[in-house]
Amino acid sequence: MSPAAVKIDRLEKTLGKNKVLRGISLEAASGEIFGLLGPNGAGKTTTLRTICTLLTPDAGSVEVLGFDTRSAPEQVRRRVGVVTADIGVYPRLSARENITYFAELSGVLDGEIRRRVDVVLERLDMVSFANQRAESLSSGQKQKVAIARAIVHDPAVLMFDEPTSNLDVLASREIRNFMVESRDRGKCVIFSTHVLHDAERLCDRVTILHEGTVVATGRTAEVRGAHRDLEDAFLELVEKR
Amino acid sequence: MNTLAIVFRKEMREILRDRRTLIAIGLAALATPTVLVAISQVSTKTATQTYTVGYTGTIPNGLAILMTATGLKLEPVADPAAAARQQVDLGVAFQPAEIDEWYDPTRQSAQFADARLQTVLGQFNATKAAAALQQKGIDPGLLNPLPVIAHPLSSPVKAAGNAFLSFFLPYILITMVLTGGLSAAIDASAGERERKTLESLLLTPTPRSRILLGKILAVSVISLVSAIAAIGSMLLALSQIPLLGTHVSLSPLAAAVMVWLAILLAGSFSSVTLALGTLAKNFRQGQAYSTPLYFITIFPASIVLFIPDFNPNLAYYLIPILNAVLVLRDAIVHNSIAWPALGVTTASLVTTGLICWFAALRLFTRETLLIRS
Repeated sequence: MSPAAVKIDRLEKTLGKNKVLRGISLEAASGEIFGLLGPNGAGKTTTLRTICTLLTPDAGSVEVLGFDTRSAPEQVRRRVGVVTADIGVYPRLSARENITYFAELSGVLDGEIRRRVDVVLERLDMVSFANQRAESLSSGQKQKVAIARAIVHDPAVLMFDEPTSNLDVLASREIRNFMVESRDRGKCVIFSTHVLHDAERLCDRVTILHEGTVVATGRTAEVRGAHRDLEDAFLELVEKR
Repeated sequence: MNTLAIVFRKEMREILRDRRTLIAIGLAALATPTVLVAISQVSTKTATQTYTVGYTGTIPNGLAILMTATGLKLEPVADPAAAARQQVDLGVAFQPAEIDEWYDPTRQSAQFADARLQTVLGQFNATKAAAALQQKGIDPGLLNPLPVIAHPLSSPVKAAGNAFLSFFLPYILITMVLTGGLSAAIDASAGERERKTLESLLLTPTPRSRILLGKILAVSVISLVSAIAAIGSMLLALSQIPLLGTHVSLSPLAAAVMVWLAILLAGSFSSVTLALGTLAKNFRQGQAYSTPLYFITIFPASIVLFIPDFNPNLAYYLIPILNAVLVLRDAIVHNSIAWPALGVTTASLVTTGLICWFAALRLFTRETLLIRS
């Protein structure tokens, strides 16, 4: 495995009265799709939010490409892109304006912005609706805007948090293809999902979370072991605890 | 480009494409002249309206002409007391040595008619008394041993116009600075949460303080534009519509004070409304949180309305909003600036703005900002 792009060490986090993460450790490398799996409430979103500095660790540490999330949060945010199930966009801005806004805020140089936005529009096949106001776009088109704004600053680490949960079959397939393509470009892709079937098809390595702890980690085939699929492996792991 | 300018430009673009905000500004600009036209017409009608006086008995010589000339129409009735309840504005019984009058104080027309009758009778009595004295060879000047000759230091008509402006204009200013930017503020805070764009925005490396400041600046600009549009249209209307018998206008000094106060108030109100919007989960909740602001801000503006001669000491100028109302009132009525009062007011409003900004920033940087959504 190449050096870790994301390194989490004994991470703990409490939200309100709920201890969500209980000392988890994991590493994700560049050029792989890393699956963060587990049922709802396992702590997947909290882990991702801590990686991208929206939440601060109570204990333990998180590093992204060598930058600590506590001491260098802005450096981390420059290197991370996040796509969630929420495809919220600014409805009164066009698709192009939405993406440009995030490119500007992400520190893309003034002279580079237009070119970078054009590249992303081409790459995601968005040129036909680039100048349309976001309020008139379909869910699939909005999802593309959400992906575009997350990658316009060309981050080395891409995180997908249940990205297909609100999408139809075709749009979901496009997302999956995009993740594979990003991995092939050498990005570290972290894919958080509770749909184990998706993870099995896409992920090079996985970590399974349950009630804020890591119950299994390794190459996808290793975690599946002798079971028929990841779901069976997961159920057995949970029952053992 | 500076990140603050980027956020400001984006917010302005969104606001200017939002029909709600544009309609609010347009309505504000139209509403004030409409109200003024209504006030002008009502006051003109009140001054020229003829009131009916139901009477019994014999009208003293000459009084009927005087009453008709002052818009009091005489109408014989059987029972003046009963007629004064509804049929006529006043009931009068002319007796040989006195006049009995009946009127209902709950009816505004009766109050106006009564005031007019008292004035007419005062003049009639004075004229009769003077004539009787003159007939007996006595100087009628005895009835008025110390005549008062008034020397008003400024035009009473202009003073009345200034008095009108001094309570109406601060009220419009405060209301419009608050409401003009309210929709934009809630949209830029609670709206981000409702549209689910907040998380993506906070994921950018731009410091949250800059994001918030860009939003506050945009909301402040819209508040100012809204207030100036409303006041500008009001002043334009006042220059065309005679009110209280004159064309009321704002002096350049008062206009400058007004703009300065509007800037200070817009900064504070923007921070407060953005902070409240940040607490809310959606636009509707943001509006509900902001509703008490109307009462909090309008109350000080109303003080000048209910206590026109309220002349407090300098300490009162520390109270935000009230101080703006008082400074603006003084600038309009006296056409001068009390610099210590303006200094205290400025310091108070800047401090209030900074406290509100700090509170908004605290709310905007808390982890719970995202967890609540």
